[in-house]
Amino acid sequence: MRRAFLGEFEEIVLLVVAACSDEAYGVTIWEEVQQQTGRSITMSAVHATLYRLEEKGYLASSMGGATAERGGRRKRFFTLTALGVRALNDIQEMRNRLWEAIPPGKFQLIGG
Amino acid sequence: MNPRPVEPPRWADRLLEAFLAPHLLEDVQGDLHEVFYKRVDEVGATKARREYGWAAVQYVSPFFFKAFRRGPSPGIHESVEYVQLPFFHPDMIRNYLTVARRNLVRNKSYTTLNVFGLALSMACSILIFMMVSYHLSFDRFHANADRIYRIVTGTGAANALSSAGVYVPMGRVFRDEYTFAEKTGRVATNYGTTISIPGTRSTNKFREAIAFAEPEFLEIMSFPFVQGRPAALAEPDRVVITEAIGQKLFGDQNPVGKTIRLDNRMDVTVTGVLQNIPANTDRREEIYVSFANLKPYNDWFHEENWTGISGNMQCFVLLKPTVPVAEAEKAFTAISQKYIKDATERKNVFRLQPIADIHFNLNYDGRMDKTNLWALSLIGLLLIVTACVNFVNLATAQALKRAKEIGIRKVLGSERAQLFWQFIAETGIIAVFAMLVAVGVAYLLMPLLNQLFQIDLSIMINYQLVGFLVALTILVTLLSGSYPGLILAGFQPILALKGKLSQKHVGGFSIRRVLVVGQLAISQILIIGTIVITSQMRFSQQSDLGFNKNSVVLLPMPVQEAAKMSTLKSQFMQLPGVENVSFCMQAPASQAVNMTSVRFDNRDKDEDFLIRTKDADEAYMPTFDLKLVAGRNILHSDTTREFVINETAVKALGIKSPQEALGKILITSKGRRRGPIVGVMKDFFNNSFRGAIDPICLRANLGEYGNCAVKINLQSRRETLTSLEKIWNTSFPEFIYSYQFVDDQVAQFYALDELILKLIQFFAIIAISISCLGLFGMISFMAAQKTKEIGIRKALGAGVESIVWLFSKEFIQLTGIAVLVATPIAWWAMHRWLQDFVYKIGIEWWMFALSGTVALSIVLLTVSYQSVKAALVNPVKSLRSE
Repeated sequence: MRRAFLGEFEEIVLLVVAACSDEAYGVTIWEEVQQQTGRSITMSAVHATLYRLEEKGYLASSMGGATAERGGRRKRFFTLTALGVRALNDIQEMRNRLWEAIPPGKFQLIGG
Repeated sequence: MNPRPVEPPRWADRLLEAFLAPHLLEDVQGDLHEVFYKRVDEVGATKARREYGWAAVQYVSPFFFKAFRRGPSPGIHESVEYVQLPFFHPDMIRNYLTVARRNLVRNKSYTTLNVFGLALSMACSILIFMMVSYHLSFDRFHANADRIYRIVTGTGAANALSSAGVYVPMGRVFRDEYTFAEKTGRVATNYGTTISIPGTRSTNKFREAIAFAEPEFLEIMSFPFVQGRPAALAEPDRVVITEAIGQKLFGDQNPVGKTIRLDNRMDVTVTGVLQNIPANTDRREEIYVSFANLKPYNDWFHEENWTGISGNMQCFVLLKPTVPVAEAEKAFTAISQKYIKDATERKNVFRLQPIADIHFNLNYDGRMDKTNLWALSLIGLLLIVTACVNFVNLATAQALKRAKEIGIRKVLGSERAQLFWQFIAETGIIAVFAMLVAVGVAYLLMPLLNQLFQIDLSIMINYQLVGFLVALTILVTLLSGSYPGLILAGFQPILALKGKLSQKHVGGFSIRRVLVVGQLAISQILIIGTIVITSQMRFSQQSDLGFNKNSVVLLPMPVQEAAKMSTLKSQFMQLPGVENVSFCMQAPASQAVNMTSVRFDNRDKDEDFLIRTKDADEAYMPTFDLKLVAGRNILHSDTTREFVINETAVKALGIKSPQEALGKILITSKGRRRGPIVGVMKDFFNNSFRGAIDPICLRANLGEYGNCAVKINLQSRRETLTSLEKIWNTSFPEFIYSYQFVDDQVAQFYALDELILKLIQFFAIIAISISCLGLFGMISFMAAQKTKEIGIRKALGAGVESIVWLFSKEFIQLTGIAVLVATPIAWWAMHRWLQDFVYKIGIEWWMFALSGTVALSIVLLTVSYQSVKAALVNPVKSLRSE
């Protein structure tokens, strides 16, 4: 298995999908990403990232039932795959290792 | 369900539908709509719509475009659904190409006919486009072309005469006394100056056109300098030449600083070198001499000469951007009132002719008639239409064969628009293919065309040509694809699948009949054009012009010295093949025009018309076989002592009979030449048949004898011409020998008509070929359709003739209708063309009969092969298939 590689934005989107309590689809993910990052992000960027993550195998999707407020169009719900979970874990672990590797007192020096 | 009051912008949805991969469309669009309705409540409809549009545009990105090609990946989405791909999806395009290829390969003969017909007509339009754009580009390349004008002269006198030339001082006065122009530059051309290099062997000499130009002339025109600059011509005895001339005279040496000798009597020093003159200008001179040298070279061009105009003396102006043309033209009237004393001369009107008009204005020695270019473009368009008609005919005829395919496609959910575009795509493939062939054909035909029309075109890939090719391909695709496409797409699937479609569902025969008639009529018009123009050309070439043009050769006379000329004459006369020798200015009919004022008898002022002068010796009339109607020929003299005038001049002078004119005094050239009228000659054609016969006077004037006319015996013409050359070269070793037959000179009157004739012939042949291709395709189709009918007829005892007749009848009718349609159009067009001629043929019924017969025979020949083949088929074979 190839090493997980995630871009920063991809990671955020993946985390947002993971963090959603209800079923996650385009609009909710989009709103959440904006809220969490505090940045203004286009819908197309979110969609592109979602589909790319799906292609890489980190996300899976399924079509929901039709809803009236979308002109009868169905929603595509995204869920994390096992691979996606592992990718997030890998990243988290790597971060932790790096954090732990920081010599004590270094931050005070830099920050001070 | 309540309809929503607010909707997202439709164009944005369209955009999404076009660009998004279909498996992604639903949820993306759904998400966007959801946000949209939310935003409507928050910020209002207008803003929400704007946001929606902007959001949609973001999807036009490489990522979503690639998603197109990848399509839904199975196993990731839980189910693979059937999705309808958008029209321009790469997979769909591949599918169209496959289907098209299979169809085209299956019907090889139809494909070949189509591609060949289209390619032929496209090749012609490419050539026409290049020729037209070449002519339209004339003199457009000058930096300020829109502000450059030439001063031209129109004569107000009775026999209207227009000239591209002006009075010698006109330009100078306009420059000195008025401020309309930024620059005014005069240029005087001498065609046929002998150029040599002093101190070299006498063989190194050339005959070239030279132009005496003011520096301003080269500043107005954008002929780029390689060395030197226009100011080089400000001083006398300077010359600017082109690189080509430099190469010719001095080889690879730098010409600057070298000396050139003009006509063995005037030395000038090269002070500048120009780049070679581009092909698309009519100012072809390559040697520019200081204007100050003009008067020493030819005394007539002196700065006070307000008494006459030479077409060789021209003046160009670069108007200031704000000056209206009409304003500047007023200055010319003022100038002529101030400086011109003579009443007749003062009637001249001066105009400013835009430089872009020079190539096209035949009144001022233009080379090309714009109408011809438009006619040519029209022919090109007609050829394209003809080829498209073939295509439509063949495609609709084919349509029934594809009924099953269409039916199945429709049942499987193809939409009408999709089928239509599929057919257009198929046509597009053929069109692109035909275009490639056409470019090849045009490329191969180019040298032939150049040779035929004496031009120098080459296929240059520029954006105009590429644009034209693209536009042409699209035009052809739409013209030939839309109608069959609509028909095919419109099939009722049930009928199509049951095989119950018949001819009437594909537009029937009547539409195709109309198209064929149109096509035949176009060929017909071109054939009639060919016949009429040929007849007129033959008329002008074979008519008796009133003088002998066939056996007279003109040799140039570089010097006018009585002793030298009489020696030359006696040497010529000793040759056995020479019948007569005359020294003269021009042949009886000539493009060079010399007009002068005329005063008759004791009348107190000059006549209202100008008389055309023929300066010549007493041998002129016998040499050219001019006939007298009264009096006698002039006697030998070096200057004018007496006149012979023509019958038109007698009429113009208002005299009752030729006899009455005899003995009366005639005064020409502002009183400088006077003498009695001793004879009246029969009228002869002194112009092309486009112009009327001018009043003419024949007078002796040794100083103007630029030519030696030799009447030779045609039986021994080769030996005689060799001997003439030998004698001439011994008499004038330092000049260049050349000769021209008078009938060749006369033929030049019709050079443009000759060109038009060749073009029409060429395109008539192409048009006929294309129509034949179409007919051939149609008759093959008809034969295939009627196989059973023929079988039954034969089984019932019909003979071969009656079956051939069955086919031919139809086409004879169509040809007949085409003749009826074409006749009035052709008559009108040819009538218009003939209007230009004063002496012309009438359009006669046999011309139409002949062209009709020609067309009919071609049609019958084309259909005979297929119809005979059909008629000869064994009925057992054709009927067994049932």
